[in-house]
Amino acid sequence: MRLSTEFIAGVLAGGILGWMFDHFLGTKPWGLIVLLMLGFATGVYNVMRAAGSLSKAPTTERDP
Amino acid sequence: MATPPAEHGGGFPPFESHTFASQLIWLALAFGLLYYLMDKIALPRIQAILHDRAVRLSGDLDEAQRLKAEADTAGAAYEKSLSDAQAKAQAIALETRTALTQEAETKRKALEAELNARIAASEATLRTRTTEAMGNVRGIAGETASAIVERLTGRSPDEASLARALDSVAFPH
Amino acid sequence: MAVKMDPIHQFELKPLVSFGHIGNQEIAFTQSALYMFAAVGIIALITVVATSRRSVVPGRMQSMAEIFYEFIGSTLRQSAGHGSERFMPLIFSLFMFVLVLNMLGMIPYAFAVTSHIIVTFALALLVIGTVIVYGFMAHGTKFLKVFVPSGVPGWLLPMIVAIEIVSFISRPISLAVRLFANVLAGHIALKIFAGFVPALLAAGAWGAISPLPLALSVAVTALEFLVAGLQAYVFATLASIYLSDALHPGH
Repeated sequence: MRLSTEFIAGVLAGGILGWMFDHFLGTKPWGLIVLLMLGFATGVYNVMRAAGSLSKAPTTERDP
Repeated sequence: MATPPAEHGGGFPPFESHTFASQLIWLALAFGLLYYLMDKIALPRIQAILHDRAVRLSGDLDEAQRLKAEADTAGAAYEKSLSDAQAKAQAIALETRTALTQEAETKRKALEAELNARIAASEATLRTRTTEAMGNVRGIAGETASAIVERLTGRSPDEASLARALDSVAFPH
Repeated sequence: MAVKMDPIHQFELKPLVSFGHIGNQEIAFTQSALYMFAAVGIIALITVVATSRRSVVPGRMQSMAEIFYEFIGSTLRQSAGHGSERFMPLIFSLFMFVLVLNMLGMIPYAFAVTSHIIVTFALALLVIGTVIVYGFMAHGTKFLKVFVPSGVPGWLLPMIVAIEIVSFISRPISLAVRLFANVLAGHIALKIFAGFVPALLAAGAWGAISPLPLALSVAVTALEFLVAGLQAYVFATLASIYLSDALHPGH
């Protein structure tokens, strides 16, 4: 549940950003296309990081 | 389930954006009130309670430690006074015993001396009496002998021969 | 019967007092607002009223408040590390608010405030807003290092920075969507399973298998209580992790 939410949130963030880009700058489809792809990548990145931080939770304790 | 949700306008309530402003206003008020209560009253108070308890606990522990140390010293002092008293009692007992022994010894010696004196006196009396008696025996023997001689010979023996005869049978004077 | 089984009906807002409209926005004191203030009241009862005697030996309510305090305190310390004490009121309020609202929502026929995305999104934005404002206030432009992870080869950096920025923006979304989706899905599932029981009973011979959805809805109820507590905890933990970026950027 947590991992899928991370992925969906990434795609949603990309989509929202892309839509806003297009809306305010008038670059109609391109912002949405590029940022959706970026959002997709972010989703994967989020999932990787969440999974990583889940599996090696003790080592992140090194933070001061 | 397939019935269209006619009674609320056909939308999906969580996504009906005309309610958003209203919800945000009440959320801001409620959460603001909550944050204020937590920040100004609840959390400082809970923190103070926990801190007080920690201080109280460590204070109680220190107090217990101090009392224990006190009890330990008191115990040690008691032990010491007890052993002192024991030693004292022993010394007194020893002294008493020595004194009593000495007294008994002197009494015994006095008694002994007295007894010895009495024995010596008795012995002396006995000896005089014996000598006296022995003297009487010689007289009696002389008289008896002269009486026997007079009866046999018709005359009494002279003093000298009687004494000689008595001496020969070893009657001491 | 079909109307009763509508699993969406329970999420509808019912205005108790309406203040009219501003534009297309209806301003009204709804049952949702009532639940919010009820939650604030319950939390105040536990953490303010029950602690007013400040007993060294706590009563049941006071020790509950103490347990919550120590639990959130240790969660925050572990997730956000040094200097995180200043966010204790925020994280504690968030956790208690979400927890009590989730639990109130579990009462039969009660309304789950956290099943509305606008509420969870507002709370998530509050967290991210705090991260941004505090991050820039404490570290100035150094706070932007949050977007530049260390140990990335130069040619990949623009790509990674772009992804990090989108990822940062996705955080409030994931925070909001997770809580909202869990509560929403849980309540729909509960309603559907509970709705099966009278439906089967009414369907004559099918009533024989009605204990099955009954047992299932009991199990789902138990699961939803777990989810209600867990999601409040996850919300507080993730908020703490995001706040740790504001405290220590550049990791």
